[in-house]
Amino acid sequence: MSFSSLLLQQTINGLSLGAMYALLALGFTLIYGILELINFSHFNVFMVGSFIAMWTLQSFGLSGQSIILTGLPLVGVLLAAFAVTMLASGTLGVVIERVSLRPLRGITGPAAMITTIGVSYILFNIILVTVGADAKNFPNPLPPMRWHVDGAVLELREVLIWVVSLVLMAGLWLFVQKSRLGKAMRATAQDPEAARMMGVDVDRVIMTAFFLGSALAGAGGLIFGLYYNFTSFIIGFTAGLRAFTAAVLGGIGNVPGAMVGGILIGLIEAYGGQFIATEWADVIIFSILVLVLVFRPAGLFGRLAPSKS
Amino acid sequence: MPSVAAAVARPFAAIPEARRKQMGLLLLAAAALLFPLYHNNDADIDSMANAAAYASLALGLNIVVGFTGLLDLGYAAFFAIGAYVYGILSSFQLQPDWSSFWVPFQYLGLVAQMPGESSGFVVHFTLSFWLALPLAALVAAGCGIAFGAPTLRLKGDYLAIVTLGFGEIVPIVVRNWASLTNGAAGLNGVAAPQLFGHSFGVNATPYYYVAILLVGFLVFVSIRLRDSRIGRAWMAIREDEIAAGAMGVNRTRFKLLAFATGAAFAGATGVLYVAKLQTATPDMFGFPVSVMILVMIVFGGIGSVWGAVAGAFFLQLLQSWWLEDLTGWLNSLGRLVGSRWLAHIDLVPSIELIFGFILVFMMLYRRQGLIPAYRPPSALSFEQQHAVVQRGFGELNLPGLGGSARPGVTALGVRGVTVKFGGLVALNGVTLEVPEGAVVAVIGPNGSGKSTLFNVITGLVPADAGSIRFHDDEILGLHDYQILAKGIARTFQNIRLFPNLTVLQNVLVGQHARLRTGALSAVIRPPGTRREEREADAWAMEILAIFGNRLVPRAGQAVSGLSYANRRRTEIARALASRPRLLLLDEPTAGMNPAETLELAEQIKGLKGLGLTVLLIEHKLDVVTTLADTVYVLDHGDVIAKGTPAEVRRNEDVLRAYLGRNAQAAAAGEVGTEHVA
Repeated sequence: MSFSSLLLQQTINGLSLGAMYALLALGFTLIYGILELINFSHFNVFMVGSFIAMWTLQSFGLSGQSIILTGLPLVGVLLAAFAVTMLASGTLGVVIERVSLRPLRGITGPAAMITTIGVSYILFNIILVTVGADAKNFPNPLPPMRWHVDGAVLELREVLIWVVSLVLMAGLWLFVQKSRLGKAMRATAQDPEAARMMGVDVDRVIMTAFFLGSALAGAGGLIFGLYYNFTSFIIGFTAGLRAFTAAVLGGIGNVPGAMVGGILIGLIEAYGGQFIATEWADVIIFSILVLVLVFRPAGLFGRLAPSKS
Repeated sequence: MPSVAAAVARPFAAIPEARRKQMGLLLLAAAALLFPLYHNNDADIDSMANAAAYASLALGLNIVVGFTGLLDLGYAAFFAIGAYVYGILSSFQLQPDWSSFWVPFQYLGLVAQMPGESSGFVVHFTLSFWLALPLAALVAAGCGIAFGAPTLRLKGDYLAIVTLGFGEIVPIVVRNWASLTNGAAGLNGVAAPQLFGHSFGVNATPYYYVAILLVGFLVFVSIRLRDSRIGRAWMAIREDEIAAGAMGVNRTRFKLLAFATGAAFAGATGVLYVAKLQTATPDMFGFPVSVMILVMIVFGGIGSVWGAVAGAFFLQLLQSWWLEDLTGWLNSLGRLVGSRWLAHIDLVPSIELIFGFILVFMMLYRRQGLIPAYRPPSALSFEQQHAVVQRGFGELNLPGLGGSARPGVTALGVRGVTVKFGGLVALNGVTLEVPEGAVVAVIGPNGSGKSTLFNVITGLVPADAGSIRFHDDEILGLHDYQILAKGIARTFQNIRLFPNLTVLQNVLVGQHARLRTGALSAVIRPPGTRREEREADAWAMEILAIFGNRLVPRAGQAVSGLSYANRRRTEIARALASRPRLLLLDEPTAGMNPAETLELAEQIKGLKGLGLTVLLIEHKLDVVTTLADTVYVLDHGDVIAKGTPAEVRRNEDVLRAYLGRNAQAAAAGEVGTEHVA
């Protein structure tokens, strides 16, 4: 492969990974924007989401690579899989908030963050103990359509990943900008106390943020399965750390920033893996995290929400 | 349950508390030392040795998370660094060719010559275990500083994620740097420690004793540090970073010190751990280990030394003893009742699930942990609560406060200071002078820039232009802690105390810049340090006595439980404890009732009598009138008037700023004695 086609191939790969990280980063950013909380449970909501997606697809009789769908059945199955996964993951996020975080609202210090670490650990180990440690085959219902572009290969699933991510992100953007609840959400991110006094139901806003963030993480989990053709209890940690880096890179609390940050991290991972070495990808991404935090803590595009300290 | 505990405790109640603690400690030490003798089971002793190693780690993390409030999620990285320092330098991993360079090291017993695989001789590293303990601690501490220096400036929650990343990177580096570490396969043939020519071998008992001694030593170090100037600075940072800086604590330096100390604990423990296992692989130091140590201190009590030890032992033994026992019992029960599920259940793999639940439940229902770091102080007796208020100051003589004020000499000279926040000009070329020994008041409507003026003087806010001279030095551009050391101490408009610390501890933190104790002398506690601590205590009590019997009986109480007025007094006492030459009071009487206001005004007057220079922000004009020699009036960042209280009261600009153009004429005659807020 020539350099230019390698570059093109890695761009295709990076955009797919980036779309997944962006979906995951949005959850971090939404919740941090409102609660100033790094939600570690998000790492494994994503992982659980990928299992929910796997089980949903399996419930349609799909398994491994054996059954290929086309046309309307394919669209229907995919729509159903995304809908069920996102609904279930979103509900999981809401339950986590309601049970473990709401009682800690208003308590200063690291208590809430430690709780999210605990929740994350619980999800991680529930899947480990019940499903097992080995990686599971993720059903792939897509026909093996592929196009050759300038020496690089573009597969149908990559196009699908891009389309789905774009639709979801556009939907979120419209929701945050246009809807009444979205406006309440932005107001709460600026100043929860003032928003409450203006009649915003802050509990509902926080619940919505958790639902949306977790639903997007679930979608990310499904995309992970489609992209890598497997899922495992362990996938949340690395993907979560990368997505968090993406959120920081774009300016945590900043919704469009998280999308761009996600794409950037995906491209960095793909190019780094190709041109440097795969095993150092995390070192590179982590170094970016530290450099951004130290030299430009507001991220590339700045933060929308002011500091509440 | 409390009644049972009380019944058990009753016979011991007569023994004084210090004695009781001593006896408890002695019993614990005896039990720990005798354990391998009365329980001669190698596997169990091994479990105990592991538990002790984890207790050492928990003690180190407790310094970082518990004392200093820095949430470190990658602590196991330092454990790994210590382990690999010893592992590499006492195994056959590295074998450079022999040359005369190595001869001196051979005499020191650090290396040995051995025949190489192909030809000639190569070096075999034979670092002694006992040398490796301090060496690995130093290396880990150095790594802690190198990693902490750029990142410790980050806000708390960012630090958590960065340390998480660091904890992930170190095993990756270990895995990929195979020439140094043998990669994922791990180091092999790490030498067992030797003592007086006897190798420890694979028997658990000697490791157990080393581990127990290490725990004992680290408990001692932790407690000594906690109860010293160092520990107070750490806790001040944890409680309120801004107030800690304003009270003279160099935050970066003390955070780094905490990070390095915690890392050193982990480094030394790594040596012990790898010597005991005689191997080291990258997987022994991953994220689960960092989380496990965090769970231990959360369970035992964040910030509690004995809590960390108890948490570590409990969770380790839960993992290696009790879950196995429970599994065995459930399996027998299953066979007995014919339940296949029960007969084959294995609880041991669910230990991490249990850790997750412990984290969540402790945070939700018992954040202070099993052994809380702070016991609620006993309530004041009825007599103390209802004692007649003594105002203090009568017979007080506070050498070192104020001193000889030279009239006419300028203490503080603010010249043309401008501060802008984006488009807002908070201070516009403000010029202000505070003569020695005077009380100068700054008044002005809300938002006029008074608190910004204080913030720029004390180094919390940078200035865009101007100069601030204190006696003969330019202080603009100095750090907050340096300005305190120069002799300017302040209080805050919305009270920034260290809520979980006692009144006495708060006031002791105020003396931080005047005390010299370093980390080493805090641990060794030489006579000089003991004297310094005694004098610091005495000085703190003397300062508290300024407020009569308001604070003295409450010296041992956490300030979070004090009344509003007493918290204000504590904050003033904390500022005074730093022996300032200039005291900045930001609305000291806000929220006080008229009687309390009058009392405090008298006390401030008393401080002036001692020769202390005071710069005061105050809304209550009667307070200003009684106290101030000179009044500056700020409005929208400009000084609009300056003069004696009487002059200012008649100034038309002032009346307009406070009351508006129309009300000015009507109210002109009455403003003087009213509260203008």
